Amino acid sequence: MNTANAYLRSALFLLTALVLHMALFSDLRVLGVAPEVPLAIAITAGLVGGPERGAVAGFVIGLGIDLYLPTLFGLSALIYTVWGYTVGLIEERIFRSAWWINVLVTAAATAGGLLVYALLGELLGAANLYTDRLYVVMGVAAAYNLVLSLPLLGLWRWSWPRLLGEER
Amino acid sequence: MATGTRTGRSRFTLIFLLLSSATLLTLDAREFEPLQRTEETISDLISPLRTGADRVFEPVGDAWAGITGYDELESENEALRAELQKLEGQQILDSDAAIRLESLLDELGLPYVQDIPNVVAEVVTANVGNFDRYSVQINRGSEDGIRTGMPVVTRGGLIGRIDGDPGRGHSRVTLLTDPGFEVGVLAVGTDDVALASGGGHGEPLMVTKGLEIDTEVDVGHEVVTSGVDRSRYPPGIPIGTVTHIDYDEARLLQLLTVEPSANTDNLSFVTVLLYDPLAEES
Repeated sequence: MNTANAYLRSALFLLTALVLHMALFSDLRVLGVAPEVPLAIAITAGLVGGPERGAVAGFVIGLGIDLYLPTLFGLSALIYTVWGYTVGLIEERIFRSAWWINVLVTAAATAGGLLVYALLGELLGAANLYTDRLYVVMGVAAAYNLVLSLPLLGLWRWSWPRLLGEER
Repeated sequence: MATGTRTGRSRFTLIFLLLSSATLLTLDAREFEPLQRTEETISDLISPLRTGADRVFEPVGDAWAGITGYDELESENEALRAELQKLEGQQILDSDAAIRLESLLDELGLPYVQDIPNVVAEVVTANVGNFDRYSVQINRGSEDGIRTGMPVVTRGGLIGRIDGDPGRGHSRVTLLTDPGFEVGVLAVGTDDVALASGGGHGEPLMVTKGLEIDTEVDVGHEVVTSGVDRSRYPPGIPIGTVTHIDYDEARLLQLLTVEPSANTDNLSFVTVLLYDPLAEES
């Protein structure tokens, strides 16, 4: 398998994840909170592929979801880029991939990412982001992404098997 | 050495992506038209995939809503049963067939819409994120004459307005429960135009500006859109019913709590009024 093939798989994975998030996962709400699939995509990309791929995957999926959100276009892309990069960097420097640590990191990073999203969004003039409900959203979305992290980590490994083998 | 090169490249990639995001944010804040057109085009390209997936997964979403919202469904059922009994009673009273027919047509024909051109649209997605509780997507857009700011109604009354630039075949509706939503209103039978604003999800609307203390308003009074002074909304669209009145002695104003007449939860179909206040004026 060559690099082009890996990128094709990644693109297919990102597009499918975006469509599934909008058509399925956004309806599966608990306490009115849906899983944060795009954020989980950015985080798990960072965990599997390192900071650079985490940033690129975060940017692409962030732009995709920004098309359908009422907030400023580019806000999700900005935050998911930083988050994918940061998680990738932490994984590379500190953890080195025990599967259960990756799962816990996904949940914690989801909660952190949502807090940053709300704070930065309010700073840029978006309304109704930092509210009393934010902590409920952070808790439920983190729990959801904890469950989703294992399949997502597996799918990223499917997308980049050769590239990962060359690097490690 | 290889690790060093990779770290340098990943930093460069990060900076490039951050600058790109910041540029997009700035252009969007300035409502840069080519960017908005590009957004629409990409969104339109993804749209068929999304619609197909929506159809496939709709039963799953419905089943989930049935499981997680069982209590809500039960109380909704009770309310509907009570409403049905009330209507049955009314039907006995209105024995004249003509009156019954008229009232049925009134229900179906959105009586307050009168001769304003309108488009019926289906709600395709309630919301895709956790921070957009006050908006829904509909399957009609600029191709159908929909423009930003147009009022959106259901049989119960006003539910929101079109926000952002509509795509060719889809647009976004901001619901009147949004705390940033404001609409000029008046209590039926009075002349004082006041400003109502959204109170949040599941909360009533608040009228805090414009209603003088000596205006005669009671609990139970109907509130409708005022439609004056180049308002985005035509006059007479039902907003809700006054449920509580407070008095601001310092500003000599009445503060009304208004229960919306239209339900903004579980919307299936809505009507967009193709209303342009400037065209109406001319």
